[in-house]
Amino acid sequence: MESAGFERVFHPAALAFPMAVDTVWRRAYDGCMNARRELVEIPGEWLEEFEAAALRPLSVRWRYAFVHTYKPVLDDASYRSFDTTEDYRRWCNENLPLWLGYATV
Amino acid sequence: MPLFEYRQAEEVRDALRRHGVRYLFIGKSGAILLGFPDTTQDADLFVEKDPANGSALVEALCELGFRLTAEQKSEIVRGKDFVQLKNGPFDLDLVFAPDGIEGFEHAFARHIEVEGFPVCHIDDIIASKEASGRTKDRESLPRLRAFREYWIARNRRG
Repeated sequence: MESAGFERVFHPAALAFPMAVDTVWRRAYDGCMNARRELVEIPGEWLEEFEAAALRPLSVRWRYAFVHTYKPVLDDASYRSFDTTEDYRRWCNENLPLWLGYATV
Repeated sequence: MPLFEYRQAEEVRDALRRHGVRYLFIGKSGAILLGFPDTTQDADLFVEKDPANGSALVEALCELGFRLTAEQKSEIVRGKDFVQLKNGPFDLDLVFAPDGIEGFEHAFARHIEVEGFPVCHIDDIIASKEASGRTKDRESLPRLRAFREYWIARNRRG
């Protein structure tokens, strides 16, 4: 129980069904954007990761975070620019392999 | 392409500050600066669209080792909405008009400083990922929203 009106609730089902927990959370989020939320649901595994990260210095967090793997097409030019963000999204949709995850849903 | 090392992030921060560039870290690199434990491959900078700011940014980028042609410099000064740089010591995306964010001033008004790094508020990072509609963003949003709750509660506690 948090002192600032927050209660972290761990649902055992969260590990197996994280999307379901997110759906519940989204409903609450959408319903009370401006209201103080009393109930927060963070899967236990994620909470452990957040707390472990909070103990690390920024330089260490940064070192753990940046990885580099070759991304076909995307990494094949040294410079690209787009007049609008919409143009960029369209280019991603039309040119990048779907599995890269840049396509819009 | 070498990794984007923390030392280089500090160089970006210091060079952009020296040149008076108005910008914010956004995207996953911004979330990582706020404490979000995840991985990414490049840094995204939300830059104020203004010719003077663009010129200052070009000078800073050249100082950092990015090899920009005259035309590329001109595009950055002009503030094309999205510029992807892979012609320097690390990958950098310049975002002048991120999805889901009202404008630079709005984001700057509530930005967070993390060890001198100017970072978008977590709500703006989430809003831009929600608005982008990309598969990879959709996949990372549940965990990012959970982090948002953790981050807000942690900051309330001080």
